[in-house]
Amino acid sequence: MKNLLLTFAIVMAACALSFGVFYAASGAPAEVRRAARERDAMAWMRLEFKLDDAQFAAIKRLHEDYRDVCAGHCAAIMAAERRQAPPAEVAALEKTCVEAMTTHFKRVAALMPPGQGGRYLAIVLPRIADFDHRGAPNVQVRP
Amino acid sequence: MNSPPRPDPLSRALADWRLTPPRNPQFRTAVWARLDAARSAPTWTGYLRAHGALVAGALMAAMVLGAWSGHARAHERDTAARAALVADYVHGLDARWMRLP
Repeated sequence: MKNLLLTFAIVMAACALSFGVFYAASGAPAEVRRAARERDAMAWMRLEFKLDDAQFAAIKRLHEDYRDVCAGHCAAIMAAERRQAPPAEVAALEKTCVEAMTTHFKRVAALMPPGQGGRYLAIVLPRIADFDHRGAPNVQVRP
Repeated sequence: MNSPPRPDPLSRALADWRLTPPRNPQFRTAVWARLDAARSAPTWTGYLRAHGALVAGALMAAMVLGAWSGHARAHERDTAARAALVADYVHGLDARWMRLP
């Protein structure tokens, strides 16, 4: 009985060790994991879509410019809601926001290396629809 | 004049107490039997030699199971972290999310 228990303990230890080694060594590269942990979207984009320095700088500039556009949309939607504008007006402002965002993502994709732009759009465009079901955002990243 | 101390009843009872266990004629034989049994019990290395294939199989299965579950768990961890990052990224550029409290 003692021998059986000792053997069982060793088998379990081997299982745990194997789990630990594969858990630590598998998955995304360490830099990508670090970017994800620190919620650094720009660092993640650079690694995920293999951007060189020029592409990264151009995309960063595009994002910074778009933030002003986005802030303008946000202010317009909030102002319309504050003055209790008709739902159609709010919907029209939201539509403008979605169109501007889609155009922005396509511009970003165009600056990426061949093949990566399509992958980027396949990841980000479905996220725009997340807003339609606020309670349960989609957590699956397909491509 | 002091009288001699009276003997303590407990001491007297202990002094009178005699234990006479029943004789067990098998006692010696039983002790030797137990010693022999302990001597003939297989050691762990002996146990491994006797059940080598079984132990090696169990060890291999445990390692494969550990590796598979470790890999799957790491993949799950990365997928969740990536999904959260993408959601943050897109929502950060979405005016509709910005206005939410």
